[in-house]
Amino acid sequence: MTVTNPARSLAEAAARRGSARFAARAGLSDRAVAWLFILPTMLLLLAINIFPLIWAIRLSFTSLMANLPTPARFVGLDNYVDILTDEDIWANFRVTAHFVFWTIALQILIGLGLALLINQKFRGHSFWTTIILLPMMLSPAVVGNFWTLLFQPQIGPFNYVIGFFTGVAPSSFSMIGSVVLAPWTIVLVNTWMWTPYVMLICLAGLRSIPDYIYEAAEVDRASPLRQFWSITLPMVLPFLMLAVLFQAIQSFVMFDMVNLLTSGGPGSTTETVSITLKRAAFEKWQTGYASALAVILFVTIFGAANVYVRALNWVKQQ
Amino acid sequence: MSDTTPRPFSEPSPLSRALSAVAVVLYAVIAILPLIWIGATAFKSQADAIAYPPKIFFSPTLEGFVDLFTVQTHQSHEFIAKMAPPTTWYEKIARDRDMVIAGPSRVVERFLNSLIIGFGSTILATFLGTLAAYGFSRFRVPLADDLLFFILSTRMMPPIAVAVPIYMMYRWLGLYDTRIGMILLYTAVNVSLAVWLLKGFIDEIPREYEEAALVDGYTRLQAFRKVVLPQAVTGIAATAIFCLIFSWNEYAFDLLLTSSNAQTMPPFIPFIIGEGGQNWPAVAAGTTLFLLPIVIFTIALRKHLLRGITFGAVRK
Amino acid sequence: MRDLSDIEHAGSARWFRRGPWENAAMAVIGFGILMMTQPFSLDLYTYSFATILSGTLGFVVVSHFPQ
Repeated sequence: MTVTNPARSLAEAAARRGSARFAARAGLSDRAVAWLFILPTMLLLLAINIFPLIWAIRLSFTSLMANLPTPARFVGLDNYVDILTDEDIWANFRVTAHFVFWTIALQILIGLGLALLINQKFRGHSFWTTIILLPMMLSPAVVGNFWTLLFQPQIGPFNYVIGFFTGVAPSSFSMIGSVVLAPWTIVLVNTWMWTPYVMLICLAGLRSIPDYIYEAAEVDRASPLRQFWSITLPMVLPFLMLAVLFQAIQSFVMFDMVNLLTSGGPGSTTETVSITLKRAAFEKWQTGYASALAVILFVTIFGAANVYVRALNWVKQQ
Repeated sequence: MSDTTPRPFSEPSPLSRALSAVAVVLYAVIAILPLIWIGATAFKSQADAIAYPPKIFFSPTLEGFVDLFTVQTHQSHEFIAKMAPPTTWYEKIARDRDMVIAGPSRVVERFLNSLIIGFGSTILATFLGTLAAYGFSRFRVPLADDLLFFILSTRMMPPIAVAVPIYMMYRWLGLYDTRIGMILLYTAVNVSLAVWLLKGFIDEIPREYEEAALVDGYTRLQAFRKVVLPQAVTGIAATAIFCLIFSWNEYAFDLLLTSSNAQTMPPFIPFIIGEGGQNWPAVAAGTTLFLLPIVIFTIALRKHLLRGITFGAVRK
Repeated sequence: MRDLSDIEHAGSARWFRRGPWENAAMAVIGFGILMMTQPFSLDLYTYSFATILSGTLGFVVVSHFPQ
């Protein structure tokens, strides 16, 4: 890609010393290099993200069914009106909200708690931190699939352990098959998987607090509880916000784990909006309708992403 | 500064340290149990895998792995007795259960797809990401903040929602169920992370190095290649591993946009079915082989994890 | 004369500062998401998308105001 000879000798280079502008002109101009470097990425994202997005917006105003040869009919805002007045879809949003709310609540509680404990820097803490991090890095789909064995009422070790400690017969309850338990099952697995994420970011927040602040607090005889409320928590808060926002967005559109663990069932008790979307698009083949739902999700996530980036910048400035 | 005092103010007491250690280790052990159970199930026989009560102690066997990699047919005991004796250890394992190996299973293809698509998209995304990150880091790009936000927001988009229009587009372009289509798609998702992460890494390399090189008569591209790239190599490696992990784990796109040709492991594993229901040892064997590289990568990456999951915002 | 125009300028600059507007837009987005997921009223759900959309578009506009 270079225009000039790369094997320019040092002596020659020394001769040109002091005329950097001239040297730069011998190659490509900075502006050309900048565009040359950025353009391929932007083009790829345009082709794979923006173009389909515009296509989805167009499809969302039609009655297209991708599995039928009948041509798409323009239906205006009908798909949006259908989705936004449908009690069932509303119920799916509520299922999603239940999932997001409890996952986040548990993640904050356990994640922040673990971070505080690990920050005591006992011997071997970095080893155990790595162990705790593992679930977060593994494929949610593949691990979620395996959880179905762990949750088997008769043979699953999860039910056996619960039965062992509570005295309930292991075969008397089904974490996946029960209407009452299934929404909590996906919360449980998601919490197991993503608590390390919150923990890791909180830990970074804790480590960013300089020691002298605590030293000053001890001189002032502030109680440990007071130190926690007036030093630790406010300093960790931006980090916690960052973790929570990202996890909220992720859980809101979580598909892999839920699809393999319960695939929305029993009934539609664990049918989060991404499952609804998948059913509409790839099982009922209501492409136009599904596109409208996709656009609704796009806009929601785009809005949330704006807030997330604000949080990112907030943390960066700290 | 706390060196001068006998016990630094913020140093926790030995008791609180011990208690924290106990709590953390307890959580870690509970959290890791499901993973250990997967690994153990991979070495169980089918009967042991679904025994009640769940078996902790069992005699290990490679049945699961043999089932994973082969297609077998059930034969009568007499039929097998008449056959020539098994020549390999895996044939013997199958014959012991009255099964005859008919051929290799499709798992190898799936694994290969995972590797090809994973590495293909990683290399592309890291390459594009490095260039773009350098561009954003060193030059005044008009609307840079907006472009960077746009790049990041593409990463946040739910795969399921993106898959609807991509499905239409790929059918139209003939990219449906092709490896190249999946590589392009994963590259697009990964490049956003790559740009953000690498921009952070390149921002940390002092500009003076390049400026000195420019003064020495290097062109921009030479300075980039000979000064910046060697300095950024750790960052590039960490970014590449993150991209690889994402591609390796990705499920939704692959489930919806591939069928028999370009399918990777994650959508395939749940469909490893034996006679009469799910063959759990085979599923566990596949899962173990699939997860093991990621476990190793996670340990290798642990210093950079924080950066990776916060798009470079948190660095320590 | 000069002083007056300076004050006027300062006034408009205060109006078009990013911070408060961005916070307002983020509040609208957040409120829209609450509307979308609350279990009480179907009507609130129906208008949630319009709320989120206006909040998001608003954010895109106001985030280009000067700091």
